[in-house]
Amino acid sequence: MLDAAAQGAPRTEEEAVTVGPTRRGLLAASAAGAALLISGCRGVQVLGSPPPAAPDVRLLRAAITAESQLVARYHAAIGAAAGSSVVTAKLTAVLAEHEQHLAQLRSRLIVPSGSARAPKPAATSPAAGTAGLTGTLSELAAAEQAAAQRLAADLLTAPPSLAQLMASISASEATHVPLLRQLGRTA
Amino acid sequence: MTGAKASPQAVAALQAALAAEQAACYGYGVVGAHLNVSRSQSRSAEADWVAHQVARDNLAALITSAGAAPNPAPVAYQLPVHVRTAAQARSLAVVLEDEVAQAYLGLVALGDRSLRALGGRELTAAALRAAGWRHATVAFPGMAR
Repeated sequence: MLDAAAQGAPRTEEEAVTVGPTRRGLLAASAAGAALLISGCRGVQVLGSPPPAAPDVRLLRAAITAESQLVARYHAAIGAAAGSSVVTAKLTAVLAEHEQHLAQLRSRLIVPSGSARAPKPAATSPAAGTAGLTGTLSELAAAEQAAAQRLAADLLTAPPSLAQLMASISASEATHVPLLRQLGRTA
Repeated sequence: MTGAKASPQAVAALQAALAAEQAACYGYGVVGAHLNVSRSQSRSAEADWVAHQVARDNLAALITSAGAAPNPAPVAYQLPVHVRTAAQARSLAVVLEDEVAQAYLGLVALGDRSLRALGGRELTAAALRAAGWRHATVAFPGMAR
């Protein structure tokens, strides 16, 4: 179940957000949470339209989408910066952190087996190479800042464990901003 | 946060953050003393020291307004890093910031939104300072590795 979510993050109305601090605990807790969500939301309207996703699932999905877009941006930027080994090395290191963020976020999204749909295609990667390397770095810095601020706002209404993960990712993204600005000055 | 509504968990998380800030205030005194060779790093240590003093006083005020007594700082600390050189001083600064970041993550798990927001802001501030001393970023500031 966890693996399915981690690989494809299929989207369904029955997704649940994990709540515990450990992976093992998370599985147990979220399996119970998912069952509660299903039975609690369906009630007598078993054949009715599926209930909307819980607010914490929406927050988690939004975070996953934002993180996927950052990963796509970095892939594009690294491709565009092929001429500068210093920039490529730094961007690759930052990309690795975003991939860790994405993996952690996806591991919190639990999808009951049998309810998986085909995952949406990856977010469209923004056009690279048009703004030049300095412009690309500046755009990345702005995207990091925006992503960090969104997480900082969204964590206020998230369940405690997810809020902590969002806060940590937000802080990590905030630290990328000065790094990118510095890189832009020397590029 | 109003005093009447503060939960025992909130007070405990605030006390933990206060303890981390008190340790940082002590530790940055040692950091600054070993960075005299570099004026820019010395200035940076001083600015961070002041930031921790402000944060410490803010936490103490929050604990008081929650109806509890802020725990006093220990007279001395066993430093986690043996400091004789500027490089060791920077390592100590990183350790201090990581511990502060971890403590603020405790505030983020609270139900009180203003304390959550404070935890998030201070976690980011600690992560930025740590990245400056470390000359590198990490994927999960505040999370135990």
